[in-house]
Amino acid sequence: MTAAEEATVASENGDESGETLELRNIVKTFQKPGQGQILVLDEVDLDVEAGAFISLLGPSGCGKTTLMNVVSGLIEPDGGTMRRGGRDVSPDDLSLGYIFQEPRLLNWKTVAGNIEFALEARDVPEAEWDERIERYLEMVNLADEGDNYPTRLSGGMKQRVAIARALATEPEIMLMDEPFSSLDEITARDLRQELLDIWNREEKTILFVTHDINEAVFLSDYIYMMNTDGEMFARRDIDIDRPRQYDDPDIAQREAELYKEFHEQVVD
Amino acid sequence: MDRLTRYLYTVASIVTLLALWYAGGVTLPEVVPGLPETYTALVVVLTTPGPYDHMFYFHVWKTIQMLFASLIVSMIAGTLLGVALGRSETLESTLATWVYAWLAIPSLVIVFVSAIWIGFDASSGYFAIPLVITPFVGLNMWEGARNLDDDLAEMAEFFGAGRVQTFTDIIIPQLAPFLFASFRSALSIGWKITLLVEAFLLTRGVGFMFRRYFDQYDLPTMMSWLIIFVVFLIVVEYGVLAPLHERVMEWRPDAEGVRVTE
Repeated sequence: MTAAEEATVASENGDESGETLELRNIVKTFQKPGQGQILVLDEVDLDVEAGAFISLLGPSGCGKTTLMNVVSGLIEPDGGTMRRGGRDVSPDDLSLGYIFQEPRLLNWKTVAGNIEFALEARDVPEAEWDERIERYLEMVNLADEGDNYPTRLSGGMKQRVAIARALATEPEIMLMDEPFSSLDEITARDLRQELLDIWNREEKTILFVTHDINEAVFLSDYIYMMNTDGEMFARRDIDIDRPRQYDDPDIAQREAELYKEFHEQVVD
Repeated sequence: MDRLTRYLYTVASIVTLLALWYAGGVTLPEVVPGLPETYTALVVVLTTPGPYDHMFYFHVWKTIQMLFASLIVSMIAGTLLGVALGRSETLESTLATWVYAWLAIPSLVIVFVSAIWIGFDASSGYFAIPLVITPFVGLNMWEGARNLDDDLAEMAEFFGAGRVQTFTDIIIPQLAPFLFASFRSALSIGWKITLLVEAFLLTRGVGFMFRRYFDQYDLPTMMSWLIIFVVFLIVVEYGVLAPLHERVMEWRPDAEGVRVTE
Protein backbone atom coordinates (compact mmCIF):
# COMPACT_ATOMS: atom_id res chain seq x y z
CA MET A 1 0.00 0.00 0.00
CA THR A 2 1.42 3.36 -0.96
CA ALA A 3 1.43 6.31 1.36
CA ALA A 4 -1.24 7.93 -0.78
CA GLU A 5 -3.53 4.93 -0.37
CA GLU A 6 -2.94 4.85 3.34
CA ALA A 7 -3.96 8.47 3.56
CA THR A 8 -7.14 7.73 1.63
CA VAL A 9 -7.99 5.10 4.22
CA ALA A 10 -7.33 7.61 6.98
CA SER A 11 -9.72 10.08 5.40
CA GLU A 12 -12.63 7.68 5.72
CA ASN A 13 -13.10 8.50 9.38
CA GLY A 14 -14.16 12.02 8.44
CA ASP A 15 -10.75 13.60 8.88
CA GLU A 16 -10.61 16.23 6.16
CA SER A 17 -6.82 16.49 6.33
CA GLY A 18 -6.65 13.10 4.62
CA GLU A 19 -8.34 14.47 1.51
CA THR A 20 -6.60 15.53 -1.66
CA LEU A 21 -5.92 19.22 -2.05
CA GLU A 22 -7.16 20.19 -5.49
CA LEU A 23 -6.02 23.30 -7.33
CA ARG A 24 -7.90 24.09 -10.49
CA ASN A 25 -7.35 26.62 -13.28
CA ILE A 26 -4.79 28.62 -11.34
CA VAL A 27 -3.82 31.74 -13.28
CA LYS A 28 -1.12 34.20 -12.32
CA THR A 29 0.36 37.07 -14.29
CA PHE A 30 3.16 39.35 -13.25
CA GLN A 31 3.94 42.86 -14.37
CA LYS A 32 7.54 42.91 -15.53
CA PRO A 33 9.22 46.23 -16.20
CA GLY A 34 9.76 46.63 -19.94
CA GLN A 35 8.05 43.35 -20.85
CA GLY A 36 4.47 44.09 -19.86
CA GLN A 37 2.26 41.29 -18.58
CA ILE A 38 3.93 37.91 -18.20
CA LEU A 39 1.71 34.85 -17.87
CA VAL A 40 3.42 32.69 -15.26
CA LEU A 41 0.67 30.18 -14.55
CA ASP A 42 -1.72 29.35 -17.37
CA GLU A 43 -4.80 27.60 -15.96
CA VAL A 44 -2.78 25.10 -14.01
CA ASP A 45 -4.29 22.09 -12.19
CA LEU A 46 -2.55 20.36 -9.30
CA ASP A 47 -3.59 17.50 -7.03
CA VAL A 48 -1.75 17.23 -3.74
CA GLU A 49 -2.70 13.77 -2.48
CA ALA A 50 -2.35 13.30 1.25
CA GLY A 51 0.79 11.42 2.19
CA ALA A 52 2.26 11.54 -1.28
CA PHE A 53 5.63 12.82 -2.46
CA ILE A 54 4.88 15.11 -5.37
CA SER A 55 7.38 16.96 -7.51
CA LEU A 56 6.88 20.02 -9.69
CA LEU A 57 9.45 19.63 -12.43
CA GLY A 58 10.42 22.15 -15.05
CA PRO A 59 13.14 24.41 -16.37
CA SER A 60 14.20 27.53 -14.53
CA GLY A 61 11.69 30.34 -14.64
CA CYS A 62 8.70 28.15 -15.50
CA GLY A 63 6.55 29.19 -12.56
CA LYS A 64 7.06 26.15 -10.31
CA THR A 65 7.92 28.30 -7.33
CA THR A 66 5.04 30.64 -8.11
CA LEU A 67 2.64 27.70 -8.07
CA MET A 68 4.03 26.53 -4.74
CA ASN A 69 3.69 30.03 -3.34
CA VAL A 70 0.05 30.01 -4.34
CA VAL A 71 -0.32 26.97 -2.09
CA SER A 72 1.75 28.65 0.64
CA GLY A 73 -0.30 31.83 0.53
CA LEU A 74 2.71 34.02 -0.20
CA ILE A 75 1.24 34.75 -3.65
CA GLU A 76 -2.38 35.54 -4.38
CA PRO A 77 -3.45 33.96 -7.71
CA ASP A 78 -5.40 36.02 -10.27
CA GLY A 79 -7.83 33.16 -10.78
CA GLY A 80 -8.60 29.55 -9.97
CA THR A 81 -9.80 27.54 -7.02
CA MET A 82 -8.28 25.57 -4.21
CA ARG A 83 -10.55 22.90 -2.75
CA ARG A 84 -10.30 20.02 -0.38
CA GLY A 85 -12.96 17.48 0.52
CA GLY A 86 -15.45 19.36 -1.63
CA ARG A 87 -14.93 22.67 0.14
CA ASP A 88 -13.02 25.83 -0.78
CA VAL A 89 -9.90 26.26 1.33
CA SER A 90 -7.38 29.05 1.68
CA PRO A 91 -3.69 28.59 2.56
CA ASP A 92 -4.56 29.70 6.11
CA ASP A 93 -6.68 26.58 6.51
CA LEU A 94 -3.76 24.31 5.64
CA SER A 95 -1.04 23.11 7.93
CA LEU A 96 2.11 23.95 6.00
CA GLY A 97 5.87 23.92 6.45
CA TYR A 98 8.23 25.61 4.02
CA ILE A 99 11.83 24.78 3.17
CA PHE A 100 13.29 27.38 0.88
CA GLN A 101 16.06 27.08 -1.65
CA GLU A 102 18.36 28.89 0.75
CA PRO A 103 18.22 27.93 4.45
CA ARG A 104 16.97 31.43 5.36
CA LEU A 105 18.15 31.10 8.94
CA LEU A 106 18.57 33.96 11.37
CA ASN A 107 22.34 34.06 11.75
CA TRP A 108 22.06 36.01 15.01
CA LYS A 109 20.10 33.25 16.70
CA THR A 110 21.31 29.82 17.70
CA VAL A 111 20.07 26.74 15.90
CA ALA A 112 17.55 26.19 18.70
CA GLY A 113 16.67 29.89 18.62
CA ASN A 114 15.85 29.63 14.93
CA ILE A 115 13.40 26.84 15.60
CA GLU A 116 11.94 28.83 18.49
CA PHE A 117 11.37 31.68 16.07
CA ALA A 118 9.06 29.52 13.98
CA LEU A 119 7.35 28.02 17.04
CA GLU A 120 6.68 31.49 18.46
CA ALA A 121 5.40 32.72 15.11
CA ARG A 122 3.06 29.74 14.96
CA ASP A 123 1.84 30.35 18.54
CA VAL A 124 3.01 26.96 19.76
CA PRO A 125 2.81 26.95 23.60
CA GLU A 126 6.21 27.66 25.09
CA ALA A 127 6.01 24.56 27.27
CA GLU A 128 6.36 22.40 24.14
CA TRP A 129 9.36 24.17 22.63
CA ASP A 130 12.22 22.29 24.25
CA GLU A 131 10.73 18.91 23.53
CA ARG A 132 10.04 19.75 19.89
CA ILE A 133 13.47 21.30 19.33
CA GLU A 134 15.15 18.23 20.74
CA ARG A 135 12.98 15.83 18.80
CA TYR A 136 13.38 17.47 15.41
CA LEU A 137 17.05 18.32 15.71
CA GLU A 138 17.62 14.69 16.48
CA MET A 139 15.54 13.75 13.44
CA VAL A 140 17.88 15.71 11.16
CA ASN A 141 20.98 14.42 13.01
CA LEU A 142 21.87 17.75 14.61
CA ALA A 143 21.10 16.85 18.21
CA ASP A 144 24.32 18.44 19.49
CA GLU A 145 24.11 21.69 17.54
CA GLY A 146 21.23 23.41 19.33
CA ASP A 147 23.45 26.02 20.98
CA ASN A 148 25.61 26.60 17.91
CA TYR A 149 25.21 29.50 15.51
CA PRO A 150 24.26 28.85 11.86
CA THR A 151 27.33 30.76 10.65
CA ARG A 152 29.46 27.98 12.08
CA LEU A 153 27.62 25.23 10.18
CA SER A 154 28.17 23.84 6.69
CA GLY A 155 25.64 24.41 3.89
CA GLY A 156 24.18 20.94 4.32
CA MET A 157 23.83 21.36 8.07
CA LYS A 158 22.10 24.73 7.62
CA GLN A 159 19.58 23.15 5.29
CA ARG A 160 19.00 20.42 7.90
CA VAL A 161 18.23 23.15 10.42
CA ALA A 162 15.75 24.63 7.95
CA ILE A 163 14.14 21.20 7.61
CA ALA A 164 13.99 20.82 11.41
CA ARG A 165 12.45 24.30 11.66
CA ALA A 166 9.71 23.34 9.22
CA LEU A 167 9.14 19.96 10.87
CA ALA A 168 8.97 21.50 14.33
CA THR A 169 5.77 23.33 13.43
CA GLU A 170 4.40 19.82 12.73
CA PRO A 171 2.89 20.62 9.35
CA GLU A 172 0.83 18.21 7.36
CA ILE A 173 2.22 19.38 4.02
CA MET A 174 5.87 20.29 3.55
CA LEU A 175 6.63 22.67 0.71
CA MET A 176 10.20 22.38 -0.55
CA ASP A 177 11.65 24.72 -3.15
CA GLU A 178 14.78 23.20 -4.70
CA PRO A 179 16.14 22.71 -1.18
CA PHE A 180 19.20 20.74 -2.23
CA SER A 181 20.15 22.55 -5.42
CA SER A 182 22.93 24.60 -3.86
CA LEU A 183 24.54 21.66 -2.06
CA ASP A 184 27.28 19.42 -3.37
CA GLU A 185 25.97 16.17 -4.82
CA ILE A 186 27.27 13.93 -2.00
CA THR A 187 25.60 16.01 0.70
CA ALA A 188 22.48 16.34 -1.42
CA ARG A 189 22.19 12.56 -1.82
CA ASP A 190 22.52 12.00 1.92
CA LEU A 191 19.86 14.60 2.59
CA ARG A 192 17.48 13.17 -0.02
CA GLN A 193 17.77 9.78 1.61
CA GLU A 194 17.15 11.25 5.06
CA LEU A 195 14.23 13.25 3.73
CA LEU A 196 12.63 10.08 2.36
CA ASP A 197 13.12 8.37 5.74
CA ILE A 198 11.44 11.27 7.54
CA TRP A 199 8.65 11.46 4.99
CA ASN A 200 8.01 7.76 5.40
CA ARG A 201 8.15 7.73 9.19
CA GLU A 202 6.28 10.97 9.88
CA GLU A 203 3.67 10.40 7.17
CA LYS A 204 4.02 13.87 5.71
CA THR A 205 2.82 15.11 2.37
CA ILE A 206 5.64 16.72 0.43
CA LEU A 207 5.35 19.11 -2.49
CA PHE A 208 8.81 19.41 -3.97
CA VAL A 209 9.98 21.86 -6.62
CA THR A 210 13.00 20.89 -8.69
CA HIS A 211 14.57 21.26 -12.13
CA ASP A 212 16.55 18.06 -11.66
CA ILE A 213 14.79 15.14 -13.42
CA ASN A 214 16.88 12.53 -11.64
CA GLU A 215 16.07 14.01 -8.24
CA ALA A 216 12.37 14.14 -9.07
CA VAL A 217 12.29 10.51 -10.25
CA PHE A 218 14.25 9.26 -7.25
CA LEU A 219 12.02 11.03 -4.72
CA SER A 220 8.50 11.22 -6.09
CA ASP A 221 5.31 9.24 -6.23
CA TYR A 222 4.21 11.40 -9.13
CA ILE A 223 5.58 14.33 -11.03
CA TYR A 224 3.96 17.38 -12.59
CA MET A 225 5.83 18.73 -15.58
CA MET A 226 5.76 22.39 -16.51
CA ASN A 227 7.10 24.36 -19.46
CA THR A 228 8.27 27.93 -19.73
CA ASP A 229 4.87 29.11 -21.04
CA GLY A 230 3.41 28.55 -17.60
CA GLU A 231 1.58 25.41 -18.72
CA MET A 232 1.40 22.17 -16.78
CA PHE A 233 1.69 19.74 -19.68
CA ALA A 234 1.82 16.35 -18.00
CA ARG A 235 1.42 14.35 -14.83
CA ARG A 236 3.55 11.23 -14.66
CA ASP A 237 3.51 8.52 -12.00
CA ILE A 238 6.74 6.93 -10.85
CA ASP A 239 5.91 3.31 -10.13
CA ILE A 240 9.26 2.21 -8.86
CA ASP A 241 9.36 0.26 -5.60
CA ARG A 242 10.76 1.92 -2.52
CA PRO A 243 13.34 2.02 -1.06
CA ARG A 244 14.89 3.13 -4.34
CA GLN A 245 18.54 2.99 -5.30
CA TYR A 246 20.32 5.71 -7.22
CA ASP A 247 21.86 3.19 -9.61
CA ASP A 248 18.58 1.40 -10.28
CA PRO A 249 18.25 1.08 -14.09
CA ASP A 250 14.49 1.70 -13.77
CA ILE A 251 15.23 5.17 -12.45
CA ALA A 252 17.62 5.89 -15.30
CA GLN A 253 15.08 4.68 -17.82
CA ARG A 254 12.22 6.74 -16.36
CA GLU A 255 14.50 9.75 -16.27
CA ALA A 256 15.31 9.27 -19.97
CA GLU A 257 11.60 9.04 -20.83
CA LEU A 258 10.76 12.21 -18.96
CA TYR A 259 13.69 14.03 -20.49
CA LYS A 260 12.42 13.08 -23.94
CA GLU A 261 9.01 14.48 -23.13
CA PHE A 262 10.55 17.73 -21.96
CA HIS A 263 12.69 17.95 -25.01
CA GLU A 264 9.69 17.52 -27.31
CA GLN A 265 7.88 20.28 -25.44
CA VAL A 266 10.77 22.66 -25.98
CA VAL A 267 11.10 21.78 -29.68
CA ASP A 268 7.37 22.29 -30.33
CA MET B 1 47.71 38.45 16.42
CA ASP B 2 47.26 37.37 20.00
CA ARG B 3 46.15 39.63 22.80
CA LEU B 4 49.59 40.31 24.26
CA THR B 5 51.11 41.30 20.91
CA ARG B 6 48.20 43.64 20.20
CA TYR B 7 48.60 45.19 23.63
CA LEU B 8 52.33 45.67 23.08
CA TYR B 9 51.73 47.42 19.76
CA THR B 10 49.26 49.77 21.43
CA VAL B 11 51.72 50.62 24.20
CA ALA B 12 54.51 51.10 21.65
CA SER B 13 52.39 53.53 19.64
CA ILE B 14 51.59 55.60 22.74
CA VAL B 15 55.26 55.72 23.78
CA THR B 16 56.29 56.76 20.24
CA LEU B 17 53.70 59.53 20.18
CA LEU B 18 54.85 60.86 23.56
CA ALA B 19 58.49 60.80 22.39
CA LEU B 20 57.63 62.67 19.18
CA TRP B 21 55.61 65.16 21.17
CA TYR B 22 58.48 65.75 23.57
CA ALA B 23 60.95 66.22 20.71
CA GLY B 24 58.50 68.58 18.95
CA GLY B 25 58.06 70.64 22.11
CA VAL B 26 61.83 71.05 22.44
CA THR B 27 62.53 71.95 18.79
CA LEU B 28 59.41 74.05 18.01
CA PRO B 29 58.37 75.56 21.35
CA GLU B 30 56.19 78.29 19.78
CA VAL B 31 54.02 75.77 17.94
CA VAL B 32 53.98 72.57 19.98
CA PRO B 33 53.13 72.85 23.68
CA GLY B 34 55.90 71.12 25.60
CA LEU B 35 55.18 67.76 27.15
CA PRO B 36 56.27 68.77 30.70
CA GLU B 37 54.34 72.07 30.48
CA THR B 38 51.24 70.25 29.32
CA TYR B 39 51.57 67.79 32.17
CA THR B 40 51.79 70.64 34.68
CA ALA B 41 48.79 72.38 33.08
CA LEU B 42 46.83 69.13 33.14
CA VAL B 43 47.49 68.70 36.87
CA VAL B 44 46.32 72.27 37.47
CA VAL B 45 43.15 71.74 35.42
CA LEU B 46 42.39 68.51 37.23
CA THR B 47 42.98 69.81 40.75
CA THR B 48 41.99 73.49 40.92
CA PRO B 49 38.70 75.24 40.17
CA GLY B 50 38.74 77.27 36.95
CA PRO B 51 36.56 80.17 35.81
CA TYR B 52 33.34 80.72 37.79
CA ASP B 53 34.79 78.43 40.43
CA HIS B 54 33.91 75.25 38.52
CA MET B 55 36.04 72.13 38.63
CA PHE B 56 36.94 70.39 35.38
CA TYR B 57 34.27 67.71 35.80
CA PHE B 58 31.55 70.36 35.81
CA HIS B 59 32.57 71.43 32.31
CA VAL B 60 33.07 67.89 31.10
CA TRP B 61 29.67 66.92 32.48
CA LYS B 62 27.97 69.86 30.76
CA THR B 63 29.55 68.90 27.46
CA ILE B 64 28.61 65.26 27.89
CA GLN B 65 25.07 66.22 28.77
CA MET B 66 24.61 68.28 25.64
CA LEU B 67 26.42 65.77 23.44
CA PHE B 68 24.52 62.68 24.60
CA ALA B 69 21.11 64.31 24.72
CA SER B 70 21.70 65.35 21.11
CA LEU B 71 22.93 61.87 20.20
CA ILE B 72 19.79 60.25 21.58
CA VAL B 73 17.54 62.62 19.65
CA SER B 74 19.58 62.19 16.45
CA MET B 75 19.72 58.41 16.69
CA ILE B 76 15.95 58.20 16.97
CA ALA B 77 15.19 60.82 14.34
CA GLY B 78 17.93 59.60 11.98
CA THR B 79 16.86 55.95 12.26
CA LEU B 80 13.25 56.82 11.52
CA LEU B 81 14.34 58.96 8.59
CA GLY B 82 16.75 56.35 7.22
CA VAL B 83 14.34 53.42 7.53
CA ALA B 84 11.58 55.49 5.92
CA LEU B 85 13.88 56.36 3.01
CA GLY B 86 15.14 52.79 2.66
CA ARG B 87 11.73 51.15 2.70
CA SER B 88 9.61 53.57 0.67
CA GLU B 89 10.52 54.42 -2.89
CA THR B 90 8.11 57.34 -2.83
CA LEU B 91 9.77 58.91 0.18
CA GLU B 92 13.18 58.15 -1.25
CA SER B 93 12.51 59.97 -4.49
CA THR B 94 10.81 62.85 -2.66
CA LEU B 95 13.37 63.39 0.08
CA ALA B 96 16.74 62.11 -1.15
CA THR B 97 17.81 65.43 -2.69
CA TRP B 98 16.93 67.29 0.48
CA VAL B 99 18.87 64.92 2.67
CA TYR B 100 21.97 65.56 0.56
CA ALA B 101 21.28 69.30 0.65
CA TRP B 102 20.94 69.08 4.42
CA LEU B 103 24.28 67.27 4.64
CA ALA B 104 25.87 70.03 2.59
CA ILE B 105 24.97 72.83 5.03
CA PRO B 106 28.13 73.67 7.00
CA SER B 107 27.75 72.94 10.72
CA LEU B 108 29.07 76.41 11.49
CA VAL B 109 26.20 77.98 9.60
CA ILE B 110 23.68 75.86 11.50
CA VAL B 111 25.25 76.92 14.81
CA PHE B 112 25.21 80.61 13.89
CA VAL B 113 21.66 80.52 12.57
CA SER B 114 20.50 78.72 15.73
CA ALA B 115 22.07 81.49 17.83
CA ILE B 116 20.20 84.14 15.85
CA TRP B 117 16.93 82.23 16.01
CA ILE B 118 17.08 81.01 19.59
CA GLY B 119 19.71 83.03 21.41
CA PHE B 120 23.05 82.68 23.11
CA ASP B 121 22.14 79.89 25.50
CA ALA B 122 22.12 76.11 25.79
CA SER B 123 18.81 75.75 23.91
CA SER B 124 20.59 76.76 20.73
CA GLY B 125 22.96 73.87 21.27
CA TYR B 126 20.15 71.41 21.86
CA PHE B 127 18.65 72.61 18.60
CA ALA B 128 21.76 72.89 16.45
CA ILE B 129 23.63 69.71 17.36
CA PRO B 130 20.85 67.21 16.54
CA LEU B 131 20.20 69.20 13.38
CA VAL B 132 23.79 68.65 12.29
CA ILE B 133 24.10 64.97 13.24
CA THR B 134 20.69 63.60 12.23
CA PRO B 135 21.37 63.42 8.45
CA PHE B 136 24.57 61.46 9.04
CA VAL B 137 22.66 58.90 11.09
CA GLY B 138 19.90 58.96 8.48
CA LEU B 139 22.36 58.28 5.67
CA ASN B 140 23.79 55.26 7.48
CA MET B 141 20.42 53.80 8.41
CA TRP B 142 19.15 54.42 4.89
CA GLU B 143 21.87 52.15 3.58
CA GLY B 144 21.01 49.58 6.27
CA ALA B 145 17.30 49.66 5.51
CA ARG B 146 17.96 49.27 1.79
CA ASN B 147 19.89 46.07 2.47
CA LEU B 148 17.23 44.35 4.55
CA ASP B 149 16.88 40.77 3.40
CA ASP B 150 13.55 40.20 1.63
CA ASP B 151 14.00 36.43 1.80
CA LEU B 152 14.04 36.53 5.59
CA ALA B 153 11.00 38.78 5.60
CA GLU B 154 9.22 36.25 3.39
CA MET B 155 10.24 33.42 5.70
CA ALA B 156 8.88 35.34 8.70
CA GLU B 157 5.67 36.09 6.82
CA PHE B 158 5.25 32.44 5.90
CA PHE B 159 5.59 31.25 9.49
CA GLY B 160 3.14 33.96 10.53
CA ALA B 161 5.41 36.15 12.65
CA GLY B 162 3.66 39.24 13.97
CA ARG B 163 4.87 42.82 13.63
CA VAL B 164 6.65 42.87 16.98
CA GLN B 165 8.42 39.57 16.43
CA THR B 166 9.43 40.53 12.91
CA PHE B 167 10.80 43.84 14.16
CA THR B 168 12.80 42.47 17.09
CA ASP B 169 14.03 39.22 15.53
CA ILE B 170 14.40 40.13 11.84
CA ILE B 171 14.73 43.90 11.35
CA ILE B 172 16.71 45.10 14.36
CA PRO B 173 19.45 42.44 14.15
CA GLN B 174 20.03 43.33 10.50
CA LEU B 175 20.21 47.02 11.35
CA ALA B 176 22.46 46.52 14.40
CA PRO B 177 25.80 46.96 12.57
CA PHE B 178 24.44 50.14 10.99
CA LEU B 179 23.23 51.40 14.36
CA PHE B 180 26.74 50.98 15.74
CA ALA B 181 28.34 52.67 12.76
CA SER B 182 25.80 55.50 13.01
CA PHE B 183 26.39 55.99 16.69
CA ARG B 184 30.15 56.09 16.24
CA SER B 185 30.05 58.65 13.46
CA ALA B 186 27.37 60.66 15.32
CA LEU B 187 29.57 60.66 18.41
CA SER B 188 32.68 61.85 16.59
CA ILE B 189 30.83 64.53 14.60
CA GLY B 190 28.61 65.48 17.52
CA TRP B 191 31.36 66.25 19.95
CA LYS B 192 33.02 68.60 17.46
CA ILE B 193 29.77 70.51 17.00
CA THR B 194 29.20 70.58 20.74
CA LEU B 195 32.59 72.25 21.14
CA LEU B 196 31.72 74.78 18.44
CA VAL B 197 28.47 75.66 20.20
CA GLU B 198 30.18 75.97 23.55
CA ALA B 199 33.07 78.00 22.14
CA PHE B 200 30.86 80.48 20.30
CA LEU B 201 27.71 80.70 22.38
CA LEU B 202 28.17 79.47 25.94
CA THR B 203 30.16 80.11 29.10
CA ARG B 204 30.60 76.56 30.28
CA GLY B 205 31.71 73.22 28.89
CA VAL B 206 34.90 71.96 27.28
CA GLY B 207 34.43 74.14 24.19
CA PHE B 208 34.19 77.26 26.31
CA MET B 209 37.44 76.32 28.05
CA PHE B 210 39.20 75.97 24.69
CA ARG B 211 37.94 79.39 23.70
CA ARG B 212 39.02 80.93 26.99
CA TYR B 213 42.57 79.57 26.87
CA PHE B 214 42.79 80.32 23.17
CA ASP B 215 42.11 83.97 24.07
CA GLN B 216 44.98 83.76 26.55
CA TYR B 217 47.14 81.96 23.99
CA ASP B 218 47.70 79.20 26.57
CA LEU B 219 48.55 76.17 24.46
CA PRO B 220 49.44 73.72 27.27
CA THR B 221 46.06 74.21 28.99
CA MET B 222 44.17 73.83 25.68
CA MET B 223 46.13 70.64 25.17
CA SER B 224 45.12 69.43 28.64
CA TRP B 225 41.45 69.89 27.85
CA LEU B 226 41.89 68.08 24.59
CA ILE B 227 43.52 65.18 26.41
CA ILE B 228 40.71 65.03 28.98
CA PHE B 229 38.03 64.75 26.34
CA VAL B 230 39.89 62.43 24.01
CA VAL B 231 40.52 60.11 26.96
CA PHE B 232 36.81 60.23 27.74
CA LEU B 233 35.89 59.29 24.15
CA ILE B 234 38.40 56.45 24.11
CA VAL B 235 36.91 55.13 27.36
CA VAL B 236 33.45 55.26 25.78
CA GLU B 237 34.72 53.35 22.74
CA TYR B 238 36.69 50.64 24.53
CA GLY B 239 34.64 50.54 27.70
CA VAL B 240 31.13 50.63 26.26
CA LEU B 241 30.81 50.50 22.47
CA ALA B 242 33.36 47.82 21.60
CA PRO B 243 32.21 45.31 24.29
CA LEU B 244 28.58 45.97 23.40
CA HIS B 245 29.32 45.55 19.71
CA GLU B 246 31.13 42.30 20.41
CA ARG B 247 28.20 41.03 22.43
CA VAL B 248 25.61 41.91 19.83
CA MET B 249 27.74 40.47 17.03
CA GLU B 250 28.56 37.30 18.97
CA TRP B 251 27.03 35.17 16.23
CA ARG B 252 29.56 36.22 13.63
CA PRO B 253 32.15 33.52 12.95
CA ASP B 254 35.00 36.01 13.39
CA ALA B 255 33.46 37.55 16.49
CA GLU B 256 36.49 36.90 18.66
CA GLY B 257 37.96 40.35 19.15
CA VAL B 258 35.75 42.64 17.09
CA ARG B 259 38.12 45.31 15.91
CA VAL B 260 37.55 48.92 16.78
CA THR B 261 37.60 50.73 13.48
CA GLU B 262 36.57 54.30 14.15
